Amino acid sequence: MTERTARQQLMRDIKRHKSVYALLAIPLAFYITFMYVPIFNGQIAFKDYMALDGVLGSKWIGLAHFKTFIHSYYFLELLRNTLMYSLGKLVLSLPLAIILAIAIYESKRPLLRKTVQTLAYLPHFLSWVIMYGILLALLAPGDGILNDIIKALGGKPIDFLTNTKAFPWIVIFSDAWKEMGWSAIIFIAALMGIDPSLFEAALVEGANSWQRVRYITLPSIKPVIVIVVLLRLGTILDAGFNQIFMLYSTPVYSVADIIDTWVYRQGLLEFQFGLATAVGMFKGAIGMFLILGSNRLVKRFGGSSLY
Amino acid sequence: MFGKNQNKKSRYGSVAIKPTAADHGFNLLVTTFLTLLLIIIAVPLWSTITLSFRPNDYIGNNLQGMFLVPWKWSTSAYKALLGNAGFILAFWNSIKILIGGVATALLLTIPLAYVLSIPTLPGRRYLNLLIIVPYVFNVGIIPTYLLVTKIGLIDKLPAIYLPVAISTYNCLIMRSFFEGIPNELKESARIDGATEIQVLIRIILPLSKAIIMTIGLFYGVAYWNNFFHAMLYLNSNELQPLPILLRNILMASGMNEYVEVNAFGDAPIAAIKAASVFMSAIPMVLAYPFIQKYFTKGTLLGSVKG
Repeated sequence: MTERTARQQLMRDIKRHKSVYALLAIPLAFYITFMYVPIFNGQIAFKDYMALDGVLGSKWIGLAHFKTFIHSYYFLELLRNTLMYSLGKLVLSLPLAIILAIAIYESKRPLLRKTVQTLAYLPHFLSWVIMYGILLALLAPGDGILNDIIKALGGKPIDFLTNTKAFPWIVIFSDAWKEMGWSAIIFIAALMGIDPSLFEAALVEGANSWQRVRYITLPSIKPVIVIVVLLRLGTILDAGFNQIFMLYSTPVYSVADIIDTWVYRQGLLEFQFGLATAVGMFKGAIGMFLILGSNRLVKRFGGSSLY
Repeated sequence: MFGKNQNKKSRYGSVAIKPTAADHGFNLLVTTFLTLLLIIIAVPLWSTITLSFRPNDYIGNNLQGMFLVPWKWSTSAYKALLGNAGFILAFWNSIKILIGGVATALLLTIPLAYVLSIPTLPGRRYLNLLIIVPYVFNVGIIPTYLLVTKIGLIDKLPAIYLPVAISTYNCLIMRSFFEGIPNELKESARIDGATEIQVLIRIILPLSKAIIMTIGLFYGVAYWNNFFHAMLYLNSNELQPLPILLRNILMASGMNEYVEVNAFGDAPIAAIKAASVFMSAIPMVLAYPFIQKYFTKGTLLGSVKG
């Protein structure tokens, strides 16, 4: 096909899809306004932002904000806390979700299975404000249930949410409590896809339940496990802003502060817009490489990456 | 989500083999694990519910309160909340955000997902790139905050949902669902002279109930639960949605506690706190059983292909 006919073909194609492009108008306006203008505004990471001068009018100062952040004492602390929470959540809730999925799949009690399923998905739909209310009833220093038990056993009540030793555990366990059921869905789906004739063959060979889980179930869902781990590693810098923002308080900042909470406080409470944007962008840039890398690996493991 | 083939008999076909001791042990472990888990999930929920029904003259701690018999429950906390103009207003604001948000989000997400699902569309690759770049590269909250401030959305309810009206993730899930609809259906309509908008409305939408319910639920949950954007963008008291009011009630302590919480009437403070937790969760809890069958189906379609 010559250059000219190819172009004509393209024009014809575009013309044919005219009404399709019309459907795009509003969504595209949305993307430009609410996705690309913020990226454009991101330039204040390299500027000494003054509200009066605006984004464009403020003076360029190069990498000064980035240097301030990397050389500050809180840099390592924020990075450590962020990784501690996201890895901690992964290590606790992933095996739990897998075990839950297998237990639901293997259970021979339909009523129990249905009840657990319904109840286990539910907390995913509750906000962290609601979760905070539930945790208060459980953990409050004066009248929380856990402290009722500690007192009944003759111990001294603990204020869990302001205790630097207890706080990280509360974050990790409350996240597992809230999200375990939801994370199990994908594994349950994978389990339902296992070819039943594998189990029949195993039964004929005389394999017991343990052996079936060990040699059929787990190997069958291994690719899904690998994919979920990779995708989670791609967002490892997102340690759960809403959760920590709701649960933390000044006494536990040293173990609770993650990159996102710090950006919020620096930017919107201390009005250090430039510095906060620089830190947000630092996180965004690393996050981008992690997501792209993990998606590439997911594709290699045969998963359908999102794009 | 378990269909008929979950039945053990059909899974193993006609093979009937006597379970061994190891099998019994396994089954016992599975049952124990699920029961334990049930207790772990139920206890915090139950303790919040019983706390919210606690009568004014209750003596005892929260642990004992969990075993308070229902005929001794009191609804004074709920009466106090429902009789309070501030609470009703916050609830109403949240409803407005929920309805406005889900409608806007679906109106924007469905056409975009549909267009992206047309394989022959010239420029599809660039469109995909256009929506993926901001999804992968997140510059944080400050640049968006500056934008929202600048375009005058501050102290307007749409500030909660307009800047997040399309979630790229939800859009991609929906796209892959649309891609799964057989092409012949769309082509035959096009040959009959239907425009793309007609194809979308007459062919695609009726087949996409599950995914629309699922994505609608995801958006609805996100908007109903959002407190952070409300905190950033809504300053006026009359616009506060439920999560902000709930947060103020829960965080109130000391003197403040009396000002914030006692304004609600004569129910115990702890009961008022628990009741407002429960009331905030109620719309999601009520909608949940109806939508459960859709979201399991919908999520699975989006997440695991093949």
